[in-house]
Amino acid sequence: MAPYTGIPLSPAELSYLHTSLAQIPPIRPDGRASTHFRPLIAETEVLPAANGSARICFADGTEAIVGVKAEVEQTRQAPASINGEKVDEGMLDLGGGGARDVKDDEMKVDGDGKKQQTGRGRDEWLEISIDVPGMRDDDALPMFLSAMLTEALLADGGLRDKLYINTRFHWRLYIDILLLSQPLSYPLPLLSLTTHLALLSTRLPALISEKDEDPLFNDDWEASTHLYLRDDQHQQQKPSVTLLVISVNDNILFDPSKEELAVADAVVAMSVTQSTDNSLKLIALRTVDPPSRLTAAGTPNALNTSAGAQSLGAAEVAAIREKDMGATVWRPPRGGLKRAVLAKMIKMVVEKNGVGEEVLAGLVGVEV
Amino acid sequence: MPLDTSTYALAHLRLDGRRWNELRHLHAQISTQASSDGSSYLEQGNTKILCTVSGPQEQRRNAPGGRQQQAGAGSDTEAQIVVEMNLAAFSSTDRKKRARSDKRVQEMQFTIAEAFRGTLFTNLYPHSTITITLHVLSQDGSLLTACLNAATLALVDAGIPMSDYVSAVTVASAPSSDQSLDEVDPLLDLNGLEEQELPFMTVGTTAAGTGEGVEGEAKIMVLVMETKVQMGRLEAMLSVGVDGCRRVRGLLDDVVRTQGRRVMENKIS
Repeated sequence: MAPYTGIPLSPAELSYLHTSLAQIPPIRPDGRASTHFRPLIAETEVLPAANGSARICFADGTEAIVGVKAEVEQTRQAPASINGEKVDEGMLDLGGGGARDVKDDEMKVDGDGKKQQTGRGRDEWLEISIDVPGMRDDDALPMFLSAMLTEALLADGGLRDKLYINTRFHWRLYIDILLLSQPLSYPLPLLSLTTHLALLSTRLPALISEKDEDPLFNDDWEASTHLYLRDDQHQQQKPSVTLLVISVNDNILFDPSKEELAVADAVVAMSVTQSTDNSLKLIALRTVDPPSRLTAAGTPNALNTSAGAQSLGAAEVAAIREKDMGATVWRPPRGGLKRAVLAKMIKMVVEKNGVGEEVLAGLVGVEV
Repeated sequence: MPLDTSTYALAHLRLDGRRWNELRHLHAQISTQASSDGSSYLEQGNTKILCTVSGPQEQRRNAPGGRQQQAGAGSDTEAQIVVEMNLAAFSSTDRKKRARSDKRVQEMQFTIAEAFRGTLFTNLYPHSTITITLHVLSQDGSLLTACLNAATLALVDAGIPMSDYVSAVTVASAPSSDQSLDEVDPLLDLNGLEEQELPFMTVGTTAAGTGEGVEGEAKIMVLVMETKVQMGRLEAMLSVGVDGCRRVRGLLDDVVRTQGRRVMENKIS
């Protein structure tokens, strides 16, 4: 997992933070409730040359801008099916190119005699690139973030199906994410929210041509259609939103700040989206290596040569370290995430009037 | 317009309706990012640049492979100025992801660093580095110009002592059907289409002089021309450019003073 270095907190400070977050109810350094998000500034359509764009600034000064551009591309014809099986699995093997449950999607018609909309998109029509200042593109952090965001956007299959024009052409969507400030705290929720807003504001030119002829679009930008339609009739799926959730003992905290991340027992990134019946669906979940594992442990007196301990061999030091419970001020957390805690996290995000709904409702307010 | 010279000669209006000496709409904000030492956001027409400055700070680890070594003065006596320019993939009409070692970008980075080496008091911070990061969000002509202006504002916000602002502008030579030199106006502040078609140059000046500010004698810090123009037109272009720089400097100064007023009001009230 992406390493997270540079936590300038002493063992005493870490212990203090952990103890206050482990209280019932948890005491956070800034006094927020456990589901209270920090204020943010968001604006859309900031880039005139992009199909969709958004910019979000978090309260701690981190800022990200996302530009979405679309290009028409010729569809590479899929190789012929072997034994009637769908060959095109998509980049991430998330299912048969989107047709997880529907086998003969090309042949299926719904009540109106129109072709079914599912399963025509391909994963490679979406390209996400993340630019973090000061890091190369193949550093751990940008690659990990890019993989997470791509997975979250492709998991529900809805986005790539919208990019279909006809059997010979499709839209290729480029989502370029630019982190404008240094990555002070784990930037995943910031980038995910900004991408969500940018996709909501993305417009594609209106198609004039019919069926399989070369695509021709309306020159009038006012006639362009949103990628994610707004009217109530359609109740389209919204793009997914990824939230960062931490757990300290049995407490669950949302929107962790940098200090809270440094002492978390477990860190989970959850991607949710709004499905057609307005309920929330969890589409991706990833555990993130908690930065607390990289913190420096306190030194027990038995090993502290300035407190009068003898110098010991390596095996003895290791043995003392293994059993130093209670002998040190702070020890990096060991062990994984309890299933009950994980279940509680998911429930808090997905339930009616839960955190996920609140976040999505808040973002809707940004749209004009 | 440039290919069809008669349009300009008829009404003396450019494609976007400006006259020869009109600047595009310049909008700038200073101190836009709380987490950096200095920051600014500048829009000149549709060219949008976001600049952050960090420093002066201790030398970071050596630059990763692919970044050109900035030809700075020895770091024992002066601060080193490092410029990083990042052209976003969505900045132009076509989506294009640029490689880090793009020669054009490297040359612009070098030009910007050299320009500020002449105005910043780097001798006050030996053994340190001032990093200027420019994010190009949208480009529509006059890229180097906007970068210099944005960097000036961000450096002012960072509080790095300098002798004066560096303000820049582009100037082109309007096409004319006959080759006479008298009736041709140099065009100020080009947009993307004009830049592609006309020979142009970027001029960056300070107004350093007797201390009277704008009234002092301008010093040219940056002069970049990559296209060919008739020698006879050069002087007119240059004088229009220097005057344009003076006007841009006035606009940048207004932005700084507005921010200063805001800061003072917050402190006093």
